[in-house]
Amino acid sequence: MSCTEIQRRLTAYLDGELDADRGSVVRGHLRECEACRLVARDEAALRDGLRTLPTLDPPPSLWAGVQAQLAAAEVADAKRPAWRRAVARWAPRAPRFAAGGLAAAAAITVLWWRAHRAPADDPSPSPSPVATLLAPVPATPAVPARGVTPAAGTDDVTADLTHDPERASTSYAQAADELVALATEARAQWSDERKVAFDTKLVELRATVDHVAEGRPRQRAWRELIRYLQGAVIRDEIALAGGAR
Amino acid sequence: MSDLVESAPILPSPTLAEPRGRVPATLADDAQLIAACRRGEARAMEMLYHQYKRRVFGMAHRIVGASDAEEVAQEVFVRVFRALANFRGDSALSTWIYRLTVNASLSHLAKRGRRQEVGDEALTELPAPPTTERDSALAARIEAALGRLPAGYRAILVLHDVEGLSHEECAAILECRVGTCKSQLHKARAKMRELLGPGVREERA
Repeated sequence: MSCTEIQRRLTAYLDGELDADRGSVVRGHLRECEACRLVARDEAALRDGLRTLPTLDPPPSLWAGVQAQLAAAEVADAKRPAWRRAVARWAPRAPRFAAGGLAAAAAITVLWWRAHRAPADDPSPSPSPVATLLAPVPATPAVPARGVTPAAGTDDVTADLTHDPERASTSYAQAADELVALATEARAQWSDERKVAFDTKLVELRATVDHVAEGRPRQRAWRELIRYLQGAVIRDEIALAGGAR
Repeated sequence: MSDLVESAPILPSPTLAEPRGRVPATLADDAQLIAACRRGEARAMEMLYHQYKRRVFGMAHRIVGASDAEEVAQEVFVRVFRALANFRGDSALSTWIYRLTVNASLSHLAKRGRRQEVGDEALTELPAPPTTERDSALAARIEAALGRLPAGYRAILVLHDVEGLSHEECAAILECRVGTCKSQLHKARAKMRELLGPGVREERA
């Protein structure tokens, strides 16, 4: 084995991580090679030197500083509105939700693609519930074929809501109410100009919800309203995090 | 046989890493301490602080340098106590605290955009003295050389060689593979040997 090979294994050898056979090869080489032996002795001395470095004691002021910072953070917590604390609690988990969202989007895309490809090259069976949900709405409501029971386990709430416009509207209205409550809390700190813009847009979007036809158009209008409210609340939180206002 | 015995001392002997004076806390101990800290019990918080203060401060000191070590250690402990409610116990408490310390130290360096705080002269100004002060002088040279390493090498050397953690623990803290951890350690030690120059062995002899 070459000196380079041996020196590459020295760290593992010195730390006792090589098995008996490889350890013996390294030891045999070191007995005969002066250069490698010196490198090994340097590294062993360095390792021992690092292991025996003195323990460092922190200054007594460290604990006092930690306590003071914790107290300051708790006072700041008490002054923060509830919705900001909620956002702060959820923010660290956002990447995981985003990853979950991406995975779900990918799965839906695959199912959609398979459902649409099916008639052409896959004459087989019933499309999945998700594919059915995403497929263009038929002129008349889809009615299950007589004698065919719905597939077991397809308790898809979204599908259920799609076929029950009233329940869908109630759910959307509840979500919008919660977001309006959050936005109202944040609104107190907005400029007059921003308040006017927000109020105008909100009234406009709410009017759209009332005026469009029931069913999908109304659900779309609700979603637009909810997206706007989410944007308003999140923008405020981002501005706060960046120290800008 | 006698040949082997005679020639044995010239070979550096392999040894296993030993934790330096650490009292291994059991999971039950950790769980009790964490629960008490979550309830805001002052004594438990102080106990946790004293249990980890040297490790946190020592790591921060050796990664960011003496002048910023207290600031970083303070930041780490505040994060520990604030985030303890979310600590899920996926890893040992010590692993989690070490990870917070390494991350806080590395981001502190990145924020400051600092390079090295110890110049070449610090190494050459510390020749090996021929007296009993050898060990402390070598320690000073090693500390100075550590300060000149890239931050990632510093972290692995401190975790593995100074703190005596295993490769598995280091990998969990640095969130990398065990193999990466081993190769980083090898490179870090080679860089240290290069910085210290030949003759470390005589200083420790």
